[in-house]
Amino acid sequence: MAVAAASKPRPSSRTVGRAVTGYLFVLPAVVLLAVFTFYPFIQGVALSFQSWDGVARESPWVGTANYEKVFGDTIFWASMKTALVFGLIGYFVGNAISLGMAVAVNHLKRGATFFRIAYYVPGIFSVVVVGMMFAWLLQGSVGIVNRSLGAVGLDMLQHKWLTDPSTALASVSLAYVWYHWPLGFLLFLAGLQGVPRELYEAASIDGAGAWSRFRHVTWPQLIPVTTIISVLTMLGALQIFATVQVLTNGGPGYLTEVPTLRIYKEAFVNHRFGVAAAMSVLFGLILMALALTQIWFARRSGGEGE
Amino acid sequence: MARTDPLVAPMGTAAASRAVPQTTPRALVLLGKVAFWALLIVVAFFALFPIVWLVLGSIQTIQELYGGVTLIPAVPQFQNYYIAWTKGGFSVYIPNSVFYSTVVVLGVLLVASMAGYALARIEFPGRGVILMLVLAVIIVPLPATFVALYKLLVDLGLANSRTGYIVALVTGGLPVSIFILRGFFMRQPKELEDAAILDGCSAFDVYWRIMLPLARPGLAAVAVLEFLRVWNEYLLALVLFNSEVLMPVQRGLTKFVSSDTPEQQILLAATTMAVLPVIILYAVAQRSIIQGIMEGAVKA
Repeated sequence: MAVAAASKPRPSSRTVGRAVTGYLFVLPAVVLLAVFTFYPFIQGVALSFQSWDGVARESPWVGTANYEKVFGDTIFWASMKTALVFGLIGYFVGNAISLGMAVAVNHLKRGATFFRIAYYVPGIFSVVVVGMMFAWLLQGSVGIVNRSLGAVGLDMLQHKWLTDPSTALASVSLAYVWYHWPLGFLLFLAGLQGVPRELYEAASIDGAGAWSRFRHVTWPQLIPVTTIISVLTMLGALQIFATVQVLTNGGPGYLTEVPTLRIYKEAFVNHRFGVAAAMSVLFGLILMALALTQIWFARRSGGEGE
Repeated sequence: MARTDPLVAPMGTAAASRAVPQTTPRALVLLGKVAFWALLIVVAFFALFPIVWLVLGSIQTIQELYGGVTLIPAVPQFQNYYIAWTKGGFSVYIPNSVFYSTVVVLGVLLVASMAGYALARIEFPGRGVILMLVLAVIIVPLPATFVALYKLLVDLGLANSRTGYIVALVTGGLPVSIFILRGFFMRQPKELEDAAILDGCSAFDVYWRIMLPLARPGLAAVAVLEFLRVWNEYLLALVLFNSEVLMPVQRGLTKFVSSDTPEQQILLAATTMAVLPVIILYAVAQRSIIQGIMEGAVKA
C-alpha cells in the first residue's frame, strides 16, 4: 500500500513522506482486521455453502443444502422468537427501570455518585458469572428466592424456576434485565445531564407541571440516546448466550434455546459446521440490519438537532 | 411494567414539591421524599444483593448453605477457595487469564493507538475509507463470525493455542479502541506536534514521546475496558480451547461446573474468584469505566 501511494505523483516529497508514515501507522490494525474479521466474515459465507465436520482438511461444496436444512429447522426459528422475547422484555421492563432510575439519580443533589456507581455494578460481571449467581439465587430447594417466599408464607409461589416450563423463560429474562439495565441507565443519565437547565427554568415559568416538563422538555432531548439504547438492548438480547447456557442450556426441552447457543451446538456438538455457518449468515444479517438502523436513526436525529 | 410505575410517581411528587411549595402540605412533601429515597435504596439493594449473597455463601460450610438462611458463617471457610484453587483448576485458569488480559491490553493499546493517531493527525489518501471500514467492523457481531473464525484458526494451526486466542481478541478490541483513542488524539493541541516536527523529530518520535503521553487518560480508559472485556470473555474461549491448561477463567468456571458435580460452596468460591479482579478494578477505576462505556456506546 505504501509503495502504491509513493509512486503516485505528489506535490512535495514531504506530503509523500507523511502519507507513507500514515500507512505504516495504520498497517498493523488494517492487517489484523482484514485477516481476523473481514476474511472470516467472507469465509463464513463460503462455509455456509460447504460441508465441514470441524476436523477434515476438505470441505466440499454442497450448494444450498445447508440453507434448506436451516429453513426446515423449527428449533432455530423458535430460538429466534425466544431471543426476541428477551429483547422485548429487556426493552420494556429493563429500559423503563433504566429511564426511571436515571431521572431519579439526575434529581439528586447528594449521593448521585454513590448511586451511579452502585447501579452500574451488575454491568461489570461476565455473563458466565451472572448465570452462576442467578442459578444459586433461583436454586429450587435451598435458593434464597424460594426460601424468602417460604418465610413470608407464599409457599404457593415457589417454583423450580429454571426447570419449570412456566417460569424458565421469565427467570432467564430476569437475569438479562438485571445485568443489562445499568447500561441504559448510564446512557440515559448522560443524556439527561445534556439537557440545558434553561429549558426547565423556562418551562417552570410557563407553569408546566412535573409530568408536562418531562413530556415536553426532557423526553424530546432524550430521543437520540433512546434510539441507541433501544438497539443496544435488542442486539444484547438477540446475542444472549452464556447466561442461558449456564442457567438452562436451552431447556427445559428447547424452551429457552437462543440463536447463538443453537449455532454453537450445531457446529461444536453436532459437527455440522456448514449448517451452523448458514445460521450464522442469516442471524448475522438480521443483527447487522438492526445496527445499521441504529446508525441511520442516530445520523438523522443528529442532523435534525443541529 | 408494574415495577416502573412506582419509579416515576415519587419523582413527580418530589419535583412538584419544589415547583409549588406553598400549596403542598408538609407531610406530603416528607412522604414523597421518604418514598423517593426508599426507591433509590431498594433498587441499589437489588443491584448489589446477588454479588453479596455469592461472596457470603462462598465462605460457608455445606451444612450452613443447605441448613437454613445463614448470613455470616460461624467460622469463615476459606478452604473453599483453597479447594477451588487446587482441585478446581483455578491455579491454572487465573494465571492464564492474567496472562491473556495483560498481553491483549498491551497489544490493543499499541496497535489501536498507532492507528488512532494516524487517523486523527496524519493526512493521507484513503484515510476516510479506512476509518469507515474500521467503523463497519463494529457492527459485525461475533455470533455471525465465530464458526468461520474457528475454521480460520484451525487452517492456520492456531486453534487450541494461546497465540490464536490472543490474536483474535486483540483484533476484536481494535475498532472501538481505535475510535476512542482517535477522539483523544483529535482533541490535543496541534502546536506541540508542529514544534516537534520543526525540531526534526521523526513521525514515530512525535507519536511515542509527545502524543502518547498526552493521550494518557484515553489509554487508561481503553486499558480498563479491554481488561474487563478479556477477563470476561467466554464464547471464543469455549470454542477454541480443548486443553484445560490453556483455558482462561470464565471457560474454566463452566468446565468446573460441568465436572463431577462439585459442592455448591466450592462453586460459589470459584465464581467469586472469577469475579474478584473485576470488582477490585471497578472499585479503583469506576470513573474510567463509566466514562469509557458512555463514549464507546454513544459515539461508536
